[in-house]
Amino acid sequence: MRNLLKISALIMLIAGGILAGCGNGDSGSGSKDGKVKLVFWDENAGPQRTPIWEELIDRFNEENPEIEVEYVGLPKDSAKAKLDTAIAADDMPDVASVQTSWLPEFAIRDALLPLDDYLADSELNDLINAGAVNFNKEIVNDGKLYGIPYTQNLDVIWVRSDWFNDAGVTIPSTWDEFFNAAEEMTGDGHYGYTIRGGAGGSFQLQRLMFAYSGLENYFDEDGKSVINHPKHVEFLEKYIELYGKNTPKSDITNDYKEMIAGFDTGVVAMVHHNIGSYGEHQKAFEADQFEAIPLPKTEDGKYVAEGGNTINVSIFNTTKNADAAWKFTEFINSAESQSYWNEQVGQIPTNSGVLDMDWIKEAQHIKTAFEVYDNPDTVLYQPPFYLPDYRSILDNIVDSGTQKVMSGDSSVQEFLDEWAKAVDASEAKYNEAMKK
Amino acid sequence: MFNTNGRTNKVLFFYLPITLMFMWTIFPIYWTINTAFKHEGDIIKRPLEYLPTSPTVENFVVAWNNVGFATFFKNSLIIGITTVFVVIILSTLSGYALTRYKFKGKGSFLLMLLSTQFIPRAMLIIPLFIIFKNMGLISNPLSLIITYTAVEIPFTTILMSGFISNIPRELEEAAAVDGCSKLQALRFVMFPLLLPGIVATAVFTFIYTWNEFLLALMLTNQQSKFTLPVGLSFMMGEFNVNYGALAAGSVIALVPAVILFAYAQKHLVSGMGGAVKG
Repeated sequence: MRNLLKISALIMLIAGGILAGCGNGDSGSGSKDGKVKLVFWDENAGPQRTPIWEELIDRFNEENPEIEVEYVGLPKDSAKAKLDTAIAADDMPDVASVQTSWLPEFAIRDALLPLDDYLADSELNDLINAGAVNFNKEIVNDGKLYGIPYTQNLDVIWVRSDWFNDAGVTIPSTWDEFFNAAEEMTGDGHYGYTIRGGAGGSFQLQRLMFAYSGLENYFDEDGKSVINHPKHVEFLEKYIELYGKNTPKSDITNDYKEMIAGFDTGVVAMVHHNIGSYGEHQKAFEADQFEAIPLPKTEDGKYVAEGGNTINVSIFNTTKNADAAWKFTEFINSAESQSYWNEQVGQIPTNSGVLDMDWIKEAQHIKTAFEVYDNPDTVLYQPPFYLPDYRSILDNIVDSGTQKVMSGDSSVQEFLDEWAKAVDASEAKYNEAMKK
Repeated sequence: MFNTNGRTNKVLFFYLPITLMFMWTIFPIYWTINTAFKHEGDIIKRPLEYLPTSPTVENFVVAWNNVGFATFFKNSLIIGITTVFVVIILSTLSGYALTRYKFKGKGSFLLMLLSTQFIPRAMLIIPLFIIFKNMGLISNPLSLIITYTAVEIPFTTILMSGFISNIPRELEEAAAVDGCSKLQALRFVMFPLLLPGIVATAVFTFIYTWNEFLLALMLTNQQSKFTLPVGLSFMMGEFNVNYGALAAGSVIALVPAVILFAYAQKHLVSGMGGAVKG
């Protein structure tokens, strides 16, 4: 009996200790030692990015002794769910790193602080890529700015420049040159190109289709999706034609890893991905063996890229220290901080102040991406991120549909019609719900 | 044909299946440990290295210091051990009540206990978050201890009541004749006999709290309060997986579970077989 009592007492002690030790469960802002405390959530924490954020936060805390920023890292796959819960429970952080595709939903849920006035008064106003900033305004329901993009990514084609030079084939800048190169570079035990037929292929396919067609809007004047536009049918027929002839037969189940491995082990001469895979190629090749080129230009000479390929610093409207939160947002978006972050991660800064920095001049792939984003003729089309089933249409209908077309079980027209129908149905449901 | 050679039969029907099963189970663990001791460059090298040529503890250092496994480990341990204590005491007492007493609505109470097991955990997150927020317990290990206890109690109560019903009532009656009170009989007669059941319950509860990811992430808003499973998920980025640190982290997370099983094994086996025989 006495022992039972002892155990109970021990548990009480432990529980008491825990309570005393961890009293402050606040996730929001507050003041401590006269300091303003800000909580920052990182949506993609890990051994690579966490130390970068911690370094930037240390620098900020040092520069601003009256403010203290606390870092909270979230695993990439669960970050959205975590933010959703926080918004539902009205317990958001002060500042967070937020993906552009989340902005429309967070804006509708009235969770974010508009940053238009802050940016207008800031020296950042002329420096941050205007295309990316405008895109952020266009995708939300009320046209306000809810996030300052601090990094962007871009789809590119990685090519084996050494093979191209040896074969005397032009590195493609138009679509005709691209299809020609895929054919010319097939032979000598390797293929010209590789198609991502497996998981995640849908995202890449969509970007290729729009880059080819040059269509600037996802929906036409009648509100119908342009997915099955004749230009897209034309592109996909040519593209699928490459399969098995100028690409490996195994492409039908190719996902990120296999596709990149195919390029890095010398099986294919060109692969379409984004600049994020630079690190992998760099491990496999010497600098003069490979390079990144933009997706080919349209017939009338324009680059078309998918908008929203950015990540932003956003401030939540529950913050009690909006000015301090803006100060932090401004700091992260300064040329120096953006340069530090993007150089380490291997992505593209949005602040044009970094253009003169040495690492940008030396990084061929970043320079290529910068040229595309800074080109005044570049068109950013806007995918319907706001549709609740946007992602599931791509994952479930498009990924498997691509495989059906590749295996010959379905025609390109049938596949694109099915895709368009799913998008239209989802859009109609959304408009009904939003009573447009 | 098949009869005479008993030795062949034993090899064919005993040692061979056992060896295959052993390999099947042990290979992923061996590969994890193998990866944990390799340099980052050697992990994806072809041909594969079945043993690290130049072993390193670098991955453990990265996981322990840089990613914060030292803190995550401590948090998981505090939450796991406390939950186990609370669950054992509560489920033993409620299991005892369910077995030894008759009361109105006992059947529906049991049914209710069972039904709680069918509620998807993900549905509970927002209500739980709001409750704990109002109690000021977000990012506090107590929120997880309370939730895990509540999640585990129904099942462990049913489990314990099964063990208790295996112990003859006469033993308690004999203790009462010798002058024991109800609590004394529980402590001195029942408790030692229940030990295998308690160990089984403890292991079951500990493993659940040790592995639980969703609630641990959702109810915690501070980096220094995350648990091991949340820490492990940090290793998987979009374009790169830090295999070395991930494997090292998994090995670290594996150690307490292995020690626990090694210690509890004999109790577990007898626990499964029922508390009292003959």
